[in-house]
Amino acid sequence: MTEVTISTLPAAPLWAFEIWRNPDAVATRFAAAMGFALPKMGTSGGSDALRLIRYEPTVWLLEGDASALPSILDTDGALTAIGGGITRVLLSGTGWRRLLMEGGVFDAESPAFAVGCSASTIIDHVNIRLHVQSEESCLAYVPLSYTQGILHFWQEAAKALD
Amino acid sequence: MMLINCPHCGPRAQSEFIYERTVDSVPPAGVSNDKAMQTLFTRGNPRGVDEEIWRHTFGCRAWMVVTRHRVTNGISHVRAVGPEALP
Amino acid sequence: MTGPSRPNTDQDSSFIFDGMRYPARKGDTLAAALLANGIGLVGRSFKYHRPRGIMTAGVEEPNALVTVGEGGRTEPNTRATDVFVYDGLVARSQNRWPNLSLDFGAIFGLAGPVFSAGFYYKTFFGSAKRWMFYEHFIRKAAGLGNAPRDADPDRFSQRAAFCDVLVVGAGPAGIEAALEASEAGKRVILVEQDEIIGASLIRDPQEQDSAWVSESADRIRAAGGRILTRTTASGYWEHDLVTLTQRLAEPGQIPANGVAQRLWHVRAGQVILATGSSERPMAFPHNDRPGVMLSQAVRTYVRRFGVCPGQRVVIATNNDDAYLTAHALREAGAQIVAILDARPAPAGQANGFTTFNNAHPLSTKGSRHCLKSVSGLVDGVSKSWDADLLAVSGGFTPVVHLHCQAGGSLEWNDAAQAFVPAQSRQNVKTIGGAATPAAIFTSAPVVPAKKSFVDFQNDVTLADVDLAWAEGYRSVEHLKRYTTLGMATDQGKTSNMGALARLAEKQGVAIPEAGLTTFRPPYTPVTMGLFAGAAAKDAGAHKRRLALYDVHAAKKPIWQPLGYWFRPRAYPMTGENLAEAAMREARSVRTAVGMTDVSTLAKFEVSGPDAVTLLETVCATSVGKLAIGRGRYTFMLREDGFVFDDGTVWRIDENRYLLTSSTGGADRMATHLSYVRNYLHPELSVSVVNVQEHHAGIAIAGPRAKSVLAKLIGEEPPRHMSTVATKIADVAVLILAASYSGERAFEIYVDARNATPVWGACETAVVAEGGCLYGLEAMEFLRIEKGHLVVGAEIDGRMTPHDLALDKMLNKAGGFIGSAGLTRPALSEAGRRQLVGLEAVEGSIPEGSMLVTADGKSPEGHVSASAFRILEGGSIALGQLADGFLRHGEELIATSPTRGQRARVRVVAPHFYDSAGERYRD
Repeated sequence: MTEVTISTLPAAPLWAFEIWRNPDAVATRFAAAMGFALPKMGTSGGSDALRLIRYEPTVWLLEGDASALPSILDTDGALTAIGGGITRVLLSGTGWRRLLMEGGVFDAESPAFAVGCSASTIIDHVNIRLHVQSEESCLAYVPLSYTQGILHFWQEAAKALD
Repeated sequence: MMLINCPHCGPRAQSEFIYERTVDSVPPAGVSNDKAMQTLFTRGNPRGVDEEIWRHTFGCRAWMVVTRHRVTNGISHVRAVGPEALP
Repeated sequence: MTGPSRPNTDQDSSFIFDGMRYPARKGDTLAAALLANGIGLVGRSFKYHRPRGIMTAGVEEPNALVTVGEGGRTEPNTRATDVFVYDGLVARSQNRWPNLSLDFGAIFGLAGPVFSAGFYYKTFFGSAKRWMFYEHFIRKAAGLGNAPRDADPDRFSQRAAFCDVLVVGAGPAGIEAALEASEAGKRVILVEQDEIIGASLIRDPQEQDSAWVSESADRIRAAGGRILTRTTASGYWEHDLVTLTQRLAEPGQIPANGVAQRLWHVRAGQVILATGSSERPMAFPHNDRPGVMLSQAVRTYVRRFGVCPGQRVVIATNNDDAYLTAHALREAGAQIVAILDARPAPAGQANGFTTFNNAHPLSTKGSRHCLKSVSGLVDGVSKSWDADLLAVSGGFTPVVHLHCQAGGSLEWNDAAQAFVPAQSRQNVKTIGGAATPAAIFTSAPVVPAKKSFVDFQNDVTLADVDLAWAEGYRSVEHLKRYTTLGMATDQGKTSNMGALARLAEKQGVAIPEAGLTTFRPPYTPVTMGLFAGAAAKDAGAHKRRLALYDVHAAKKPIWQPLGYWFRPRAYPMTGENLAEAAMREARSVRTAVGMTDVSTLAKFEVSGPDAVTLLETVCATSVGKLAIGRGRYTFMLREDGFVFDDGTVWRIDENRYLLTSSTGGADRMATHLSYVRNYLHPELSVSVVNVQEHHAGIAIAGPRAKSVLAKLIGEEPPRHMSTVATKIADVAVLILAASYSGERAFEIYVDARNATPVWGACETAVVAEGGCLYGLEAMEFLRIEKGHLVVGAEIDGRMTPHDLALDKMLNKAGGFIGSAGLTRPALSEAGRRQLVGLEAVEGSIPEGSMLVTADGKSPEGHVSASAFRILEGGSIALGQLADGFLRHGEELIATSPTRGQRARVRVVAPHFYDSAGERYRD
């Protein structure tokens, strides 16, 4: 029996961190100030206090305290609040990979989609962003208006994961 | 459903992408109004290889030019388009 | 008919066929169980209602189609050879009335020539009255099972899978390939449409025994491979995507965990097709009787199911394989009466059987339930044998469907008289029997063409093929459509080669030159629910829910779909209908104050030093002169110069703007902005972030809106088209003073997760001022009266800024998208439809009606939205009218013939309320 539980996490501050020019200079300033590199495409970096997840070439999803970032960006990019439109849904248990194959098109069962990886994809017609936290948990960022529909879809699918 | 090799995400299913238009339908910057309208309305329609503008809308949201054979659907090349980005 | 090798198990079950209960054994197909119970007659044929039995033991079965299951689980046209019996299975025969044995429709069989090839076409070309007469009877008589009336109670799942190697078909070749790949460390999926794996090894366990099969399966699984049984690879699509249909429950069966079937989308690195071949029947008169079966199928029933379908058997063959069937039958205790071998000389497998060479079946006799005798030609001399079973083997057709669906080509294998896979377009190869079918001997049929069936399911005979040829149908594609050959639910799996050979013979060419029709998915029929997946139970898409959904739901509004969104249309009080509630709400906005949820509007935050450059590219109005804290109306054009959306743009900081646009166009606008920013102008220093869902939006409108807002924020509210960041109920909000209703109004934007307390505070304040909530219906009344535009109604993709009287707002500097398109001469010609107001002189104006000068004249325009004056009453509307700007004062007729409604209208300016705009200025 493949197990997965689906839960909604409390709201968190979420930001779009976008670089529009001089990406190398921003990356250097960022690493110097924050102590870790800006994550590469399809990966994440940072800690629970401040995590950056890269889903786009020039935009990082930022979760946590963003106060230090405007000065790092300077005039090379912008920070925009987006958290109001996103629900964080935690999929826990070893069955999360198989659950994500339901109604999906992305290879969440691949060993290459390892801890720390991120991917944006479409599941049951809804754009969902995934972040692998551990082998037993994956965080999904779901558009607020679709949250109810996707939760229902996942709960139904979880009943027949064999 | 095709498999498109996104320059940023790797091979992904076509349903994550949206087709926009062919490259030859985009009027170059600074051309005359007449030339711009000619580009917009008079386009190639090859029975063969064409250059198409696609967006990985439900993935990384980036734009790319896909060189696709319109009969076999064979994709020979995908080129990233957009602002300068880190790897 | 029960054979000696039928195992006795204590796992017996029972099933019901046409109302009678019969026993079955575990592992039986319905066909095997029917044969075991001596049932030879299973259905009636499509056109002629001829009695039909079981011909095959697989998915290629053309005859034994039954309806399985009850209520919403009913599945018509199920092959009895492709459903496994479960306890309580209910099956019914089809296409018969009043019952299978006594079928009045069989009269069509007697009148056979009436329904020969091209019947429908010929009848259509005849008088229409003739068709009208026939149609009733044909619709009643010709056909298959009936679709169920009830909704399917089960769920259908869709799941993606990825693998390095996908192996289709778990016979010896497929198992071998899957084993090798999985033990080489590859991700492997092996699929088999049967309930158990082994395929030909189940029937012919000589090469490898069942122990090898189960040991191999264990090793594949141990190496991480996945084996899916009851799973059919039904379609091969682009870039090695293969769709699999998996039965988790048998047709009509209640599924264990609620999911009846699963559709897999498998993206494979490589696909190996080990799909084997299907046996071909032979064409001769009355070759379709119950009791005429394919040779390998007979062997399968004997060896796998322990059912001997006959005791006195004639075998007709053109190859070695049928002799294995003779052996199997003899072991089972049946008598081999004769073997008719088409080959001229003995081939050495006779083993004491009575074998005739240069021998062909000629005809059969029997009752509607069973076979009685077989006649044949031996060296041109007619002979006859008493027999209750005729096993035929006309050769083997490789299953090349998936190879062809993948774009691959075929080549002709002369020894096997069959097409085999040649070039592949995708990463696919074919192995085993599908690549190397067994050799056969060919000789053209020497038998009469009449009642020599080639397509059993669609009742097409050699005579029909001949007729099509005689009437001038030369191409195989024409033959197919004219005779309906191969167009039944079995897609001609047993029939196409026989007909093709006949066509080639007529053409005087080799079979490969006669051509081949196209193989298209699905390989076997697929239940519609599987394509719908989870959406089968709902509207087909998720409903998008407002952030304030719970707040609205508690007030029990009338909901209205708007794209994928659902928004309150009105909040009726007890006893009110929609129109009454909406008019009360609209009146409240005009006379006091009202509030509504505007969260679904498209919203984009545009920041950076080049924000103005981007906005002035997308918007057709100027943006650059906007002071911080100010906003203005704007609209956007397509490249061809037509207006495609409108909204407002606000400068909320030095280098930061908020752009709003229509709800319905939100996704389109997001794509457009991204295209302009990333494809056209990657050099700009600008960030565009879609914040549609980040902000919930609340609009407060009415003459008392300003005093409501002053109380809420404790300061002077912003003046019209100004913005301020402040707090309501201790929550940060952005207030935009903009009006859609025509009254002094404010839009309050707040982080969607904190919207509820802000809504609560606003509602309290609004109610305290004597106001109420209003929905979309009231909003529509208000904006029509004010003459504000809606994307999709007035902005319908065919209107220029000039047509909508927006041209004075165009950015004089140009440079925006659509500026070149606007220079096209036709866009400034006379006669274009232009925005007008309409007021009723008599009657009330029907929405969507045509504007004509007199009844019977051509339409010169149409009504895009209609409403009633909110305070004074009277029917008003907005519309588009040819040269409308010049026709104010003219009287026209607004007519809707489809609804039988009309009104006399007067053309006026498109503003019915406060045209000077004094009410929203302080």
